[in-house]
Amino acid sequence: MTTDSRISNDSKRQFSTVTKYLRKYRGYLYAGGVAVVMANALILVVPYVSKLVFDALEAGRPDSVILRYVAIAFGLAVLSGVFRFAMRRTIIWMSRYIEYDLRGEIFAHLLALSPSFYHGTRTGDLMARMTNDLEAVRQMLGPGIMYISDTIIKLTVSFAVMVYLSPRLTLYAVIPLIILPVAVNKIGNLLHRRSMRVQEKFSEVTATAQENLAGIRVVKAYRQEEPEIENFGKLSTDYIRLNMALARLQGLFIPSMRLLASASYLVVFYFGGMEIMRNELSLGDIVAFFGYLAMILWPMVAIGWVTSLYQRGKASLERINRILFTPPDVSDGDGSNYGEPMKGKIEFKNLSFGYNGHRVLENVNLTVQPGQTIGLVGMTGSGKTTLVSILARLYRVDDGRVFIDDIDINQWKLAALRRQIGFATQEPFLFSDTVAENIRFGRDVSGIDEITRTAEIAALAKDVDSFRDGYDTVVGERGITLSGGQKQRTAIARAILGRPSILIFDDVTSSVDTETEHQINERIKQVLSRRTSIIISHRVSSVKDADVILYLDEGKIAEQGSHEQLMRLNGSYAELYRSQLLEMELEQL
Amino acid sequence: MSAATGYHEEEILGKAYDASLMRRLLKYTRPYRWVIVLAVLLLVINALLATSLAFITKTGIDDHIMTGKMEGFANLALLYMGIIIVFLLASYAQIYVTVWLGQKVQHDIRMQLFRHLQRLHLSFYDRNPVGRMVTRVTNDVNTLNELFSSGVVNIIGDVLMLVFFVAALVYVNWKLALVTFVSLPLLIVATFVFRARARDAYRVVRLKVARLNAFVQEHITGMSIVQLFTREKATYGKFDDINRDLRGAHFRSVVYYAVFYPTVEIIGALSVGLLFYYGGRMINMGTLSYGELVLFIYLVERFFHPIRDLSEKYNILQASMASSERIFKLLDTPPQITDRLDAREPTQFRGGLDVKNLWFAYKGEDWVLRDVSFSVAPGEKVAIVGATGAGKTSLISLLYRFYDYQKGSISVDGTDIRDYPVESLRSLMGLVLQDVYIFSGDYARNVRLRRTDISDEAVRQALQRVGFNRFIRSREGAIHTEVKERGATLSTGQKQLLSFARALAFDPGILILDEATSSVDTETETLIQKALDELLKGRTSIIIAHRLSTIEKADKIVVLHHGQLREMGKHEELLKKGGIYHKLYQLQYKKQDISADSQAAVAGG
Repeated sequence: MTTDSRISNDSKRQFSTVTKYLRKYRGYLYAGGVAVVMANALILVVPYVSKLVFDALEAGRPDSVILRYVAIAFGLAVLSGVFRFAMRRTIIWMSRYIEYDLRGEIFAHLLALSPSFYHGTRTGDLMARMTNDLEAVRQMLGPGIMYISDTIIKLTVSFAVMVYLSPRLTLYAVIPLIILPVAVNKIGNLLHRRSMRVQEKFSEVTATAQENLAGIRVVKAYRQEEPEIENFGKLSTDYIRLNMALARLQGLFIPSMRLLASASYLVVFYFGGMEIMRNELSLGDIVAFFGYLAMILWPMVAIGWVTSLYQRGKASLERINRILFTPPDVSDGDGSNYGEPMKGKIEFKNLSFGYNGHRVLENVNLTVQPGQTIGLVGMTGSGKTTLVSILARLYRVDDGRVFIDDIDINQWKLAALRRQIGFATQEPFLFSDTVAENIRFGRDVSGIDEITRTAEIAALAKDVDSFRDGYDTVVGERGITLSGGQKQRTAIARAILGRPSILIFDDVTSSVDTETEHQINERIKQVLSRRTSIIISHRVSSVKDADVILYLDEGKIAEQGSHEQLMRLNGSYAELYRSQLLEMELEQL
Repeated sequence: MSAATGYHEEEILGKAYDASLMRRLLKYTRPYRWVIVLAVLLLVINALLATSLAFITKTGIDDHIMTGKMEGFANLALLYMGIIIVFLLASYAQIYVTVWLGQKVQHDIRMQLFRHLQRLHLSFYDRNPVGRMVTRVTNDVNTLNELFSSGVVNIIGDVLMLVFFVAALVYVNWKLALVTFVSLPLLIVATFVFRARARDAYRVVRLKVARLNAFVQEHITGMSIVQLFTREKATYGKFDDINRDLRGAHFRSVVYYAVFYPTVEIIGALSVGLLFYYGGRMINMGTLSYGELVLFIYLVERFFHPIRDLSEKYNILQASMASSERIFKLLDTPPQITDRLDAREPTQFRGGLDVKNLWFAYKGEDWVLRDVSFSVAPGEKVAIVGATGAGKTSLISLLYRFYDYQKGSISVDGTDIRDYPVESLRSLMGLVLQDVYIFSGDYARNVRLRRTDISDEAVRQALQRVGFNRFIRSREGAIHTEVKERGATLSTGQKQLLSFARALAFDPGILILDEATSSVDTETETLIQKALDELLKGRTSIIIAHRLSTIEKADKIVVLHHGQLREMGKHEELLKKGGIYHKLYQLQYKKQDISADSQAAVAGG
């Protein structure tokens, strides 16, 4: 679209995302090019044949001659149609291939990006990149390429033939049409600006409705319904006013296009007619001219249109590249030979960590021997979740701070490390799949027996048995919606399946009632006894029996020891324990 | 815009035409009947003018070009130009008028919806996500706009155009017209076969797109789980299946289009070819003039557009049926909290409040409040305390008639609150919610809301009385400091003070307050306590209290536990009793007591 020499380095970099695919599918591109040329070459002969028909008629040639011409023209049209089919089948087809590849590339990249990226990016934005922006890029590559090549060939050939028929008439006819691409571009820009304004107002209408409905309690409590309606009415009126402003321009678009086309037609009709009367042209010439004019009208408009396809496509490509050019901040270690099975020794050496300029952990020193159970308590925001996330390498930490089996965590292969950590997260995220699949999740091999056994340990089995489809019940949107507690227990089952070497429970019983929690604690004991485990909880009852309990306060280990030791210390942990006892008593009143 | 409705939207692709929905939709055009008449009139003019251009061409060729008669030819050209200009103006006017109609109807429906939403009861809002209702007011209404501005009227226009063209062709030479129409059935069959296929393909594409988007969104949200369980490869595999599926669906649709467009062109070529051949023969026989042949060519080229357009209107129709169904469903939800027919205005306001044997459940028999009774004398301050889930918030929602209770009664100055008009009841009260809702705009907007009778001066005073003015830097225009959506730029304490100022500016007779639990710094805490005193002064107040200081100042403490009123009395007596209140005190308030002594107050638990 732009000459190579004018593409700046940055542009080249931006376009590298798609050029590799254009290269990959160059077969389609070349075939498409041939199809475009052929389709146009063939169809552009037809108006000339119509001239021949008229000339023949005027010369009084017999019907059979006319029939021959008509048959030729029809044959050409059919052939051209075949190539026109091929044109879409190759170029548009290619654009769908590229869309598929590019979408795959983006998603693969998203799979590699770490949580820190997702913290700073809204899901809605990412979705927009994968839908609207991707479509804009596709349109640039598909219809964009197709129409621009079609336009160039059509215009060149038509002009050549018209000039051949009558240079003067061509000049006259083209004068009104010259305005078209310029006008389309100018009006197009203006239209764009006005429709942006409509869009902005629409966002305002949406935001206002959103705010009003979200704050409906205040609106009702302070009897603001009427003024709110009045205000919304004003907005809506503004919105339709802007829409009308847009329509005034848009309404001009098609009629004025028709005007220019008709003007051009009229010029040919009048001047051509005069020339016929002066015997300088034949009626057939004019009929052919009409034919060519009809053919170049759309390409003239298309120039302006394709320009905007290109502009939008380029902007969208840049937005997509912003994802693709972000490197994942956790990279795979080179420790291919680090052991499976993992023994489960964990060591933090003077670990400090933070993100977005915010300190989360400070000087954490801790050694956990294989098989030990660690309890982690502390206020919200004290750094508990961050600490365990670091173990699974969800965040990048400096070298020499965290070790597993005496090997620096950054040297571990991500897959080898994560495969041996069973992690039940605070937010028990389940996918819209069956219960069995959600438990099996990480481990491809587990049979249903192992799944039910695991569900038993997580105190989930009884619930699942009550579902109509048992373990085949689909959770999430369309299926049964699990309660918060059921979700958490599914997440527990998911974590302990496959006997990982390290188990991490991040406050997984917050929505489970005390009795069920007690059950889980009892059953899970034997699972925990054989592996290293870290249990985060708001409830002291879940961590009471741990080998070591840590009380985190603003990223620092404030208290450390067994339950008895910490109770004797009579600090924050002891206070937490007492207030929870009180809460239980209150509950039973 | 209709294509942009999110992946989270319900995927309803219903019938393209539903007579009862259409009738109900058309009712909205009734106020604009004359506009529709005008639009149709303009369409008739347009069709006439378009046809007349063909006749001018014919006359030019037959009477001038072929005969060599130059005089009058220039006039004919001028006439042609004149008609083009009128045509331009008429089509412009027609487009403008139809867009106007669409916009008007859109506005009317949007306002009706919004007004209806303002009247709906709160339990409706509990059950329906806000986002969905916003979509009704915005995208769904816009889809209807498309129906009115480009659907209904243009269908009439296309049909008219066709009728005129057919009439002109038949008038000029009916035999040749028949030849022209030979290809018509082909075109119609091709178009309808294609439309049906393309529509199915499109539906499949939409379905696959929705599936893909749902998958991607779900996995972006649960990305850390995918990574923790090293499911990247497997997830990509699943994604690729869906992505490939979508590509296949697109391919199918591409093929339909790739076949359809050339087919139409070939049918067109067939038509023109037949025209040339039979027309040529007629010219040779002397039964047709050159001008008439050109007229035929001219009209046939324009013939195909309306037919193609017509088939495209189908999509608009289908989308608007789905949207209108959703809109009407919302409009048909009756508001549940309404004025009684015999509701009467409160006469003399004193501010006494009686709760008698009150039972309430959000659903069925799940009682949230059981047999609660207490009374508040005018000017009295009552604190309600209890653990989470005790029913405190439900109780104050009932006072406001956000919900209606099942058994018992609540009365203000001896009259059941359901016997007052809802408006009047609420005008007696001021509500401060725990989760302060801040509107985007400025300070003033949040204090006076949209009441115009609260002056800037009154706003300033209210802000000053709650001590908010210390956050305002300059004097003038300060109350117009910008506030971001949901008060993103304000601290929790500032938001609370702002909501106090709001209540103060409205100066209610009875104040209902749900104290915030979130902790604020010591300085702000002092401010809030002062502001509270200011707010409660001389008012009947009912407070869900989280602050010890508030409780201590209360005339009466009501202790709710599991939906029942278990203890009632003053702070000291209740403490001595050693019951639920005593435990609550130890759990939540004692800490404040100690820290208050040590001058480092931390609010809440």
